[in-house]
Amino acid sequence: MASFIINGESVNVDAHPNTPLLWVVREHLKLTGTKFGCGVGQCGACTVHIDGAATYSCLTPVSTVEGREITTIEGLSGDGSHPLQRSWIAEQVPQCGYCQSGQIMRAADLLANNPQPNREEIIAHMSTNICRCGTYSRIIKAIERAAEEA
Amino acid sequence: MRQDNLSPVVPTTRREFVRGMGVTFAVGATGIIGACSMEPSGENAPAPAGGRNAEITPNAWVSISADDVITIQFGGTEMGQGTMTSLPLVLAEELDADWDRVQVETVTGHDPVYGNPAFGYYGFPILYTAGSQTLRGYFNAMRQAGAQARRFLLDAAAVEWGVPVVELETEPSRVMHPASGRSMSYGQIAAIAEVPETLAEVDESEYKSADEYRYLGKDVARINVPAKSDGTAKFGIDAQVPGMVYASILRTPVEGEEPLEVNDTAARAVDGVTDIVSLPYGIAVVGDTVEATIWGKNALEVTWSETSRFRNVEQTRDLNEYEARARDLNFSTDNPLWQDVGDIDAAFAAADQIIDAGYRTDPAYHAQMEPMNATASVSEDGKSAEIWVSTQTQSLTVMGAADALDTTIDRITVHPMYIGGSFGRRAEFRQKYVDDALFVSREIGKPVKVIWSREDDVKDGCFRPLAAQYLRAALDAEGHVVALQHRVATPNVLRYMNEPRWKLTRGPRRTSGLSMGGAGTTRYDIPNIRAEHLNMDRCSRVAAWRGVAESYTRFALESFIDEVAHMQGADPLAYRIALTRNDPSGRAVLEEVGRMAEWSRAREGSALGVALSEFGRGSVAAGIAEVSVDERTGAIQVHKYWMVIDAGFIVAPRNTEAQMEGNIIFGLSNALKERITISGGSVDQSNFYDYQVMRMNEVPEIQVKALSNNKPPGGVGELGLATTGAAVANAVFAATGARVRELPLLPDRVLAALRA
Repeated sequence: MASFIINGESVNVDAHPNTPLLWVVREHLKLTGTKFGCGVGQCGACTVHIDGAATYSCLTPVSTVEGREITTIEGLSGDGSHPLQRSWIAEQVPQCGYCQSGQIMRAADLLANNPQPNREEIIAHMSTNICRCGTYSRIIKAIERAAEEA
Repeated sequence: MRQDNLSPVVPTTRREFVRGMGVTFAVGATGIIGACSMEPSGENAPAPAGGRNAEITPNAWVSISADDVITIQFGGTEMGQGTMTSLPLVLAEELDADWDRVQVETVTGHDPVYGNPAFGYYGFPILYTAGSQTLRGYFNAMRQAGAQARRFLLDAAAVEWGVPVVELETEPSRVMHPASGRSMSYGQIAAIAEVPETLAEVDESEYKSADEYRYLGKDVARINVPAKSDGTAKFGIDAQVPGMVYASILRTPVEGEEPLEVNDTAARAVDGVTDIVSLPYGIAVVGDTVEATIWGKNALEVTWSETSRFRNVEQTRDLNEYEARARDLNFSTDNPLWQDVGDIDAAFAAADQIIDAGYRTDPAYHAQMEPMNATASVSEDGKSAEIWVSTQTQSLTVMGAADALDTTIDRITVHPMYIGGSFGRRAEFRQKYVDDALFVSREIGKPVKVIWSREDDVKDGCFRPLAAQYLRAALDAEGHVVALQHRVATPNVLRYMNEPRWKLTRGPRRTSGLSMGGAGTTRYDIPNIRAEHLNMDRCSRVAAWRGVAESYTRFALESFIDEVAHMQGADPLAYRIALTRNDPSGRAVLEEVGRMAEWSRAREGSALGVALSEFGRGSVAAGIAEVSVDERTGAIQVHKYWMVIDAGFIVAPRNTEAQMEGNIIFGLSNALKERITISGGSVDQSNFYDYQVMRMNEVPEIQVKALSNNKPPGGVGELGLATTGAAVANAVFAATGARVRELPLLPDRVLAALRA
């Protein structure tokens, strides 16, 4: 049994301690906004926040989040009103959209620690996450817009 | 608020929708769009007081509710290309609908009424989203459906008010009678209107002209962006079905083998594993959780057969063989010629000079972000199924599932979900991930979700095929190209992806565009051309890959044109502009991209390369790459990329630019580093660490421009990708004098060319 806080709610999950947090979030708790991409921390589609820090949920055994606070895309704002979510819509970032939860969670971590990042800082921070559709330039614009409007 | 039907956890079926509506008997996209009967709708939506209908369905594509919600059917599937917005937008434009009150439903299952007229080879149109044919194929059907519904609403208002219809006009979702100042919303008309048995087809002359458009050619937001920004968009992998269990499948290490002996003791001991199911091509581990099935799969010990012919595949040796065949002018596989213009034999015999070169391309992996998966629930008798899946084709998924279960298509229901990238990967007749879910569900009698690991997705990938090409040109005494021969040695992709369709088209069209598109040229003024397919045994599973055959045929052709230009001492851009003397579109994109890149401006430490490509009928693109080369390591850096396209009328300008950027990044990623290799029949790569794709820090500065005009719209989701390989290779030559004739343009290949 693992106990932690997810999107502000305390949960107890009956899962083996070695279970990747990704599968606990997606299939035990049915919060499917967090995506499975590679399972090895290469693509960033599974990015969630653990105590505020962007983390690959596919590489995080559920036993290591005991008592900690998890935020997924569903809990980032609750109603899609996070500045990044609004700027994602304004810049029409997503194409297929599969990687975008991870991109937004990664970007939210950047802005939380560096509210006015320059272009180089954005690129350095975001290059952990793959977008096969090639929305990169729009991701940069959306982060710049969110930083500007915040 | 616009909505879509891909957000619910389990979408409602189109069949339920139709049942609630009354009988649909429209003919649909291929011909006259008939009307639907206009029963007052079911209990859920009572007709308003004074009205007779809660909702009307003037034709198969659109229904209008008394409360002014307009529902438009979408016959494609959405994988990021944007047609789930642009197709309904075309209908809404001609209907003169209020777009903010439009909702879009993706058609579930195979119903030819909603098929794409561009794909009619079965004798009826199928629902198949591929080849950048969605907007192009459905454009007129959407215009007709919208114009016809608008005409019906105008006529109904004229009857209601007792005025001549010519005195009426429309504002978004409202019919106006300016002379009396009266108006009614479309919903108000829907509540009282009587829909005739059949609606007359509207003459094309009644369609709006481009200057009347409210939505087309403007920047209308894509309808699913909000759901893709808050995690609520539901992809195939997100399906949740009551009572569902999970399965992971250990697949054969080499295609064509089968499991001989299985020791599943350790797998069965994993907590949560409930069943082990033997399949012809692997072993499925079934369990209550995803993780249990993964651990169980990892614990299996399987002895495989070792008889498959694919064990003999050694990629480099096989590619050498392909190339030898391509270069041997006496070798033929008797395929009908892909292109045959003039008399090349006479032209080569009379040539003053002959130039030739060979080009090679490695297989490429789709690397779509959502790994293959499917959820299926098979009935107790094993003959009916409901499937939730990311698919490029409702029709083929239904037909393939019926084939897999040896049943009829009416017993298969497919719920197409949002697609987490596809690029040609999810368009087969027999989709193996669907087979997986069907076979396991049939065996255990429960709904099953099968998720492939990324490693499964790579090892069992269906790749752009290995290809070797040989090109030669005959020049006359003035140095003009009088003949071009383009020989392409590569497998028949269609035969593997969709054997039934290959059989239907194997007569005169046996060589398909999936293997040969882009070979030869319709853009350059060359009097004698022959493009020929040499049909090779495949070395791997194969599929269409974004940009399809153009990505290798145009790498070869446009590299070769550059070589010919160089031997004539000509500027590569000026040379191409001269060759497009009879093709205004090709010439226009070349001239414009040259202007954007300031082609003639001297660069310090970098150089430019240009290439021309086509995709779909009538669409053309030109790209220019600016690169520098580290001559010690052979590493290429692409600094800038410019691209200009002519794809006819641009319906969605902003989305078109996004697609163009995506094509450039996808193409450059492949050209610079993506390479699948196969040894002994097994794929050597496993995941994103050894099949690397372009990340944000590797993307060059990109500038794109679409030349919109009044020609019918073509697709933009693949157009221009094929410029990338040749433009970069040509720029490398311009920078260093080294000609790299093998894609991808890996550093060791650049080094070898530098030393040559």
